Parts: sequence; C-alpha cells; structure tokens
Amino acid sequence: MAVVKELNISPVGRVEGDLDVKVYMENGVVTRAHTQAAMFRGFERIMQGKDPQSGLIVTPRICGICGGSHLYSASSALDTAWGTTLTPNALLLRAIGQSCETIQSIPRWFYAIFATDMANKKFANKKLYDEVVKRFAAYVGTSFQIGVTNSALPVEVYALFGGQWPHSSYMVPGGVMCAPTLKDITRAHAIMNNFKNQWLETVWLGCSIDRYRKVQSWDDLMEWVDENESQRNSDLGLFIRASMEFGLDKFGQGCGNYVAYGTYLHKDKYNKPTIEGRNDALISPSGFYNSHTKQYHDFNHMNIKEHVLHSWYQDHAAAHPWDEPIPTPVTSQNLEHTDFNNKYSWSKAPRYLDNSSEAGPLSRCLMYTKPNNLPHQTKDHLIKNAFDKIGPSVFLRTLARVHEAPILYDNIETWLRQVDLNGEFYIKPEEKDGKGFGATEAARGALAHWIEIENGVIKNYQVMAPTTWNVGPNDDEGKSGPIESALEGIEIEDANDPVEVGLVARSFDSCLVCTVHAHDAKTGKEITTFKL
Amino acid sequence: MANVLWLQGGACSGNTMSFLNATEPTVVELVTDFGVNILWHPSIGLEIGEQVTHLLKDIIAGKVQLDILVYEGSIIEGPHGTGTMNYFCERPMKDWVKELSKTAGYVVAIGDCATWGGIPAVPPNPSESTGMQFHKKAKGGFLGAGYVSKGGLPVINIPGCPAHPDWVTQILVAISTGRIGDVLIDEFHRPKTFFTDFVQTGCTNVVNFAQKVNGGFGKRGNGCLFYEVGCRGPMTRASCNRILWNRTSSKTRANHPCLGCTEPGFPHNDLAKGSVFKTMTYLGFVPREAPTGESQLGYFFKAGIEKIWPKNSAITEGSK
Repeated sequence: MAVVKELNISPVGRVEGDLDVKVYMENGVVTRAHTQAAMFRGFERIMQGKDPQSGLIVTPRICGICGGSHLYSASSALDTAWGTTLTPNALLLRAIGQSCETIQSIPRWFYAIFATDMANKKFANKKLYDEVVKRFAAYVGTSFQIGVTNSALPVEVYALFGGQWPHSSYMVPGGVMCAPTLKDITRAHAIMNNFKNQWLETVWLGCSIDRYRKVQSWDDLMEWVDENESQRNSDLGLFIRASMEFGLDKFGQGCGNYVAYGTYLHKDKYNKPTIEGRNDALISPSGFYNSHTKQYHDFNHMNIKEHVLHSWYQDHAAAHPWDEPIPTPVTSQNLEHTDFNNKYSWSKAPRYLDNSSEAGPLSRCLMYTKPNNLPHQTKDHLIKNAFDKIGPSVFLRTLARVHEAPILYDNIETWLRQVDLNGEFYIKPEEKDGKGFGATEAARGALAHWIEIENGVIKNYQVMAPTTWNVGPNDDEGKSGPIESALEGIEIEDANDPVEVGLVARSFDSCLVCTVHAHDAKTGKEITTFKL
Repeated sequence: MANVLWLQGGACSGNTMSFLNATEPTVVELVTDFGVNILWHPSIGLEIGEQVTHLLKDIIAGKVQLDILVYEGSIIEGPHGTGTMNYFCERPMKDWVKELSKTAGYVVAIGDCATWGGIPAVPPNPSESTGMQFHKKAKGGFLGAGYVSKGGLPVINIPGCPAHPDWVTQILVAISTGRIGDVLIDEFHRPKTFFTDFVQTGCTNVVNFAQKVNGGFGKRGNGCLFYEVGCRGPMTRASCNRILWNRTSSKTRANHPCLGCTEPGFPHNDLAKGSVFKTMTYLGFVPREAPTGESQLGYFFKAGIEKIWPKNSAITEGSK
C-alpha cells in the first residue's frame, strides 16, 4: 500500500453530488485524466409513469443552482408536445426568470467558488498576489462579501414573478402562473438598479455598462483596462491583469468543440412553440462551433447522442435521447477500485455529431459571432476575437462567464419594460400524448429535456445537463470528455500541489463537488488528493 | 461559538443556494459576527489546509469538536442497502453520517430530502433514499426513531424544498448562542416557531378562500388556488407568508399554488396522474382533501353548498 500524501488545496467545491477527477502525471505533465461523477438519484426513472407535468416540480430539484433553467426546459418540452400558445408576456417573464438566475450565478460563482483559488499560495511570488488576497480571499476579502451578498438581488426579481428562488415552478405549459402588476415591475427595476449600483458598475466594472459594452475585441479590452485607474482597479480589471500575470491564459484548452442550445425565446417569435421554429426565435443564439475546422453549424437536437459504455448503466448503443431507455443502474465502485477501461461514472457521455463538446458561457459567447445570426439575436464579438487571438484557456472560459453580466443586465431591463400589463400571461393548453423537446442555456451551459407522453403519463423523460456535457466520461470510441481533454497535457509546477488541475476543472463550473486525485503515470501511485 | 460541518448526500444543493440568499444575518456575518465556525461545506467552506477525510476522521475520533452536523440531501442506501450510489471520500456517505451523528452535539436535517426523503424517495425510489430520522411520515428513517444527539435532541428537521434561509440561520444562531433550549419541536421534529401556522396565514388570497371563489393561472386577484390548481396552503404548516421569500414574495403571492413542501410526503400523491397543479376532487368540484382542522364531511357539505348555490363572486378586483 503506497503511502498517500493527501493535501487539501481548498475545500470550496461544487454542488449536486460529487465529482472525482483522477489524473496521471509524468515529468510534471498530465498524461491522462478521468472524471467520475459519484452520485446517483435516478430522477428520470422517478418520472416514468407519472403525471405529464411532473417535470415542472421534479426537474428544478435536480439542481438547486439551475432550477429556473430546468423549469424553462421542462415547460418548453411540454409546450412543444402539447402545441400550446404562448403570449408575449409569458415568453418575457420566462426569459426574465432565466436571465435573473444566470446573472445571479456570475458574482456568486466568481467570488465564492473561483476567485478564492487565485489566492492560492502558488501565486504568492506574483506582484498582484497581495491585492488578489485582499479582495478575493474567502469571507474576509473586501469584495467577497459584496459579491456574495449582492448575488441575492437578481433572484429577488425572480421571486417577484416566481414566488421564490430556488425551486419555483411558475413556468407552465401555456405560459406563466403569475400576472404581475406595475408595483412588481417597478420594484424589479429598482432591485436590478441596486445590483448595478452596489456591484456591477461600481465594484465589478469601474465604469458604466454602456462604456464596457463598447469592448468588442481583445485589443479593445486591453485598452479598456488601461484607460483609467477606475477600470484598471475594478475587480474585472484586477481579474484580467492577475490572470495574465498568473498565466491562467496558458492552460486548460479543452476539446475545441463548442455546443450551445441558445435561450431567451423572443416574445413575438415563439407564440406557436415548435421544435423546428426554435432556433430562429432565440435571442441568445444556438449553434455548434468546431475550432479545428473553424466551421459554425446550425444546431439540431437530432445530432445529439448519448453514450453509456463507460457509465454505470446497462449498455445500449449510443442513441438520441428520444430513443434511449430510462437508465438502469449497475454496480458502481469507489475511485480506488474503479477500472477506467470499463464503466467509471454516473454521468453519461453526450456527443454532438460524434464530437465531445464543451458547454458553457464560452460556447454561448462564440455563438454571438455566428455569421448567419438574425437581427434580433445577441451580437457581441469580444470572446470570438479573443479566442482567435489568444486561444481557449482557464482565463478565456472565465472571462466569457463574467462578460455576460452587462449583456444580461441590459436584457433584463429591456424585457421588464416590454411586459404589457394589459396583456395575457397564460392560455390554458389542451393536454395530449406526444413527444417534446425543451432547452435553454443554464448559467453553466446547454441544458435540455426530452419528453414522451403516452396514455396521459410520462413514458420517457431524458435530461441532459451542461455538466453532463462537460464531466462526461469517454465515449464508445474511447474519446475523452471535455474536462478530461482539458486536463491532458497541462504542466504541473508542484506535483504535491497541482493547483493547475483544480483551476481547469473549476473553469467549467461543473455543478459537482469536485475531488482531484493525482497519480504517478509510471508507478500508478497516488501522489495527492484534494477537494475543489 | 459552534463548529459546523455541512454535508450533502442525495442533494441538489438547493438548500445551500437558499442559505446563500440569507440577509439578516448574511452567511458571511454568520461566520464573522455570530460565532458560526464552518469546519467544511461543499460550496462555501473556508480553507482549512487539511484534507476533508482527515477532518472527518478527527471528528469521529473526538479530536475536533463537532457542535452541529448539518445534513442536506437524502441518505442514499442503494443499491441493496450498500449506499454505494453515493460515495464521499471513498466511502458510502451513509457510513460517514452514521459515525458523525454519534459525536455531533446537534444534528440538523435541512430540506425535504434530508428530513423525509423528498423527491429521490418517490417510488420506485431508484437510489433507496430515506430521511435522517423519518421516511415520509413514518418515524425511523436512517438513524432510527430512538436517535438523540449528544445535546439530547433528536434530529432537528428544517423541511421545505428548499428550506427558507431564515429558518436555517436562526436555528444555527440559536445553537451557537446557547438558546437551543428555547426551540420547541413538533411531532415531525420541526421547530414550532416556523411550522405552527399555515402557509395560508398571511396569504393575500385568503378572502377568496373563505368565499370559495376559484382562481387559476395568469390572472390577477381572481380567486383562491385551492379549488382548481391544487394549492396546499390550508394544510401546510410553514411561515412562507409571514417570513417572505427572497425578502419580497411567496409562492401564493405570485399566484403559484403551495406544493405542501414542508409536510412529510412531498411531492404529495407521489406525482400520480392528475395530481400536479390540479385539485383532486369528488364530484368534480369538492376538494378531496379538506383544510387541516375541518372535518372532511363538514367541509364537503359547507363547500358544496357555497360553491353551487348561491355562488359567490370575487370581491377583489384585479388591477394592473
């Protein structure tokens, strides 16, 4: 039995179960990596044979961080299955809920989960380290409390329309439950205004949203940082400067394929919900980008297949979710006894056109530059330009995540103004059997539900979360999942404290408590284990 | 001062996310000003410079005092009682919980999964999930009906899907400031201070309930959600309309039927066909479940007459 030296880099983790990452290192370089999701609950199995609307109650509770996103998908899946009619108000209030959940996640994730890692002693010899610790250290950092506390504000707006956050079910097939009044709309504007004044413009940007949104290229961003002290010393300014100094732009490239389902269905373009009409109705566009061929593709959910060869479910051929059986669990092992040539994770391995693909804000932001986007769709060129200039990395993935905050803020304000208080919010649908597909962009990426209703109950329900895309294991052909790919090849400065591995895994914002186990590639001995 | 260890089993982290919304006190103030020392938390633990497995072992060995064990998520016992569907630090989570519960001063179960099994325990219960000291309405659960912690209390249940942040922070503060003696618990081990009144207490729609005026989705001031869309406010004990959610709202105030998530058995009727956002009725109009405290027969009689003849009309006009 090898003497295992265990080291806790940071106990800050993720949520919704556990993720173990096993990496093998040789001469300071990661040669192989495996990701293991270590918890099973069986939500799809629970819904089989139940009321067709069960997903509205059950699926938000799959993930407390992305509950509103699951609700957006669950209600959309029923809309397409039942052929409902959605009023402009219904589409607006769903989009407001989804975007409030996502903008909430940005400061909460950045300060509580990500930035504390930048205060790791690995960076102690860097010039900006003292300032990073002063601001971002857990609990005591000067920005930590401001960021975490203000992250509660956007979900107050969600609660005005949904009753509470997390875990509301206010989006229902045919519309929304609520019928807000002028008092609710005014209060929502006021709460978002507080969010802007207390964090977004003052602490985060150091400038107005309008000024920041003029940043449309990597050169623009560099100019923005140096334009004045306020921007240079804002938390975003510090994050950019420290990332470059700490080298976060140098590792964690990933698989090079990017998938986004898009979200925010336009108030006037999805009043008759269909799967075929979805792409053109999106405000945040969908798509698939292959960076190896530099080709954009239009998104089609029929191009998705899930593989289970390396997942702890009974084997079946890779299949589209509508054709997949409800998963039947098989015996799992703990990490020590896992055979990685066999089954090794509770996560399935989704593939788009047979490609392992990364989901998340980086994918979403790349779609903002998709050439055939429609006039009503979000256009923003910073991330694609930076991608072409400096390539993907831990830094770019994180920059994409935080870059969306000002965009989302503007959207929420616009949509609140568009709610027509004389209009309808709900049209009661006719229930029937059929198949449905609903999707969105959760804060951490592409999320979709597939439903089949037969004899008035759920026959099949399949959920594919962004974390499924990112933490999924090898597929039937032995191709690695996105986090597995992103870990391979990274150089570890200190084998006993491989903080680089943690930063890569964290940059994907997987909603799992993540444990990394580092092993020597030759001897197989475990060098270190740490919680993320 | 109290050492808190927060673990998640079959959890969605919704209770952690709810907890992070706390305002008075905030989570940060809880740590910096209210003497709550978080030994470890899966999302917001302080750096402790020590591996989590070692911490758990030190607690079990009595080297580190554990004042409060907070548990979120179901206890996963599957498959076949092994608990291997939920590994944590190389062991089934349930084995850690069993040992930690023997040394903890108080054990606090947060959310429906930890209290009574919640959604994961809905048949066919694929992960063999159960609650800490209840399985649905039945006392027992994982730790057994007779369990008491070192502090002399059974598992303190703070149900809800999720639990309200104030319910959580106030109980943690009560323990850390030595006022746990003032916390009385009911038959389901819920602190009475939050779970004596009904969700209906403070509901803005209560006039329409009294006058048997139906309400539905997407309309303002149009009636009570109890009669058509399955609101469980009259039979659910929780302070949702006294201590508002996210400072601003509650389900029923946003025209969202109460799902009864602080009562054991949520989701009620196990999601059977016709039970989701629909009131299950007799004769098509009399609610099958009467409000708590009303006799079933008496309520059918009263509601039946009032709903048919003479029919009341809404007195609250919807206003934009």
